[in-house]
Amino acid sequence: MSIVKGMANSEIDGTFRPQLTSLIDVMTILLVFLIKSFSVDGNLITPSDDLILPVSSSEKRPRQQCTIEITGSAIIGEGEIIAKLNDVAATDSLLIEPLFKWMKLKSTQCGDSLKGRELMIQCDRELPYSNVKKVMYSCSRAGFNRFSVLVIREE
Amino acid sequence: MSLTLYKSQRPPSEQLESAELDVTPVMNMFIILIPFLVSMAVFTNLSIIEFSLPPNVGASMNSSPEKPKPKLTVRVGTDYFGVVLGDTLYDSLSVNNGIYPFDELEERLRSRKLLLAANDDIVIASLDEIAFKHVVKVMDVCRSAGFVNVGLSSATVSPGGEMK
Repeated sequence: MSIVKGMANSEIDGTFRPQLTSLIDVMTILLVFLIKSFSVDGNLITPSDDLILPVSSSEKRPRQQCTIEITGSAIIGEGEIIAKLNDVAATDSLLIEPLFKWMKLKSTQCGDSLKGRELMIQCDRELPYSNVKKVMYSCSRAGFNRFSVLVIREE
Repeated sequence: MSLTLYKSQRPPSEQLESAELDVTPVMNMFIILIPFLVSMAVFTNLSIIEFSLPPNVGASMNSSPEKPKPKLTVRVGTDYFGVVLGDTLYDSLSVNNGIYPFDELEERLRSRKLLLAANDDIVIASLDEIAFKHVVKVMDVCRSAGFVNVGLSSATVSPGGEMK
């Protein structure tokens, strides 16, 4: 009789009840961590998968604006390949003709000429500066005069 | 009798039969909340660095007939940093085994800012082959040294091998 009393009810009626205490502990820790890292704003900008951004101590938050990506193989705007980096490197000219034409078309969507046209450059950290220089020059000729680079914030 | 006395001294919770807590609603809440938070979590924080171009480039072309006032310039080469104002080279820091002396550059820039009573403008002139990450690091160093307005330019190597 005493043995029967000591047994859990689950064992009496034959059903298996798993111990959930440890699982709830894990869930609680996970929940606290996720709430801590939760950002209401989220990331307004999603960097391209093909590039690794440089690290910086800058704390200025990015805002939604026109963007050009310089990956290891191409210059990309709105997911469209504008120019191949091999072709860009092959010429001595600072002006990248396809980029200039593309930016000229997009310039009206990226601010007005009074306030200035803004452009954010996403560039792979290992690429030589010459690529950025040519992109900046071409965009500047197309009417852009306010530039920024996207970086990963140093912790 | 003694057994009864002993039993009465136990806390009330232990006197009860083992009560089983129903954790199913808590588990349901966790299962909904955790995927939501994982999808919204920001694991890499992004920032931007704003900069300007030299006044003689493209849209920002200076229409003023006056010659622009020279700004303090950091030249970034493959083997040295140079701190220049106009034609005068004030500091030169060598790169040892590919390691750039960023900390020393920051100290020099701080002291030059005080000595030359320079304003908050600075220009970074880099050679073409320098990796972009080094240029970004120099931009950070300049901002840390008190130069808020950073401009990007390019440096060239003269036929004699001297960087301009």
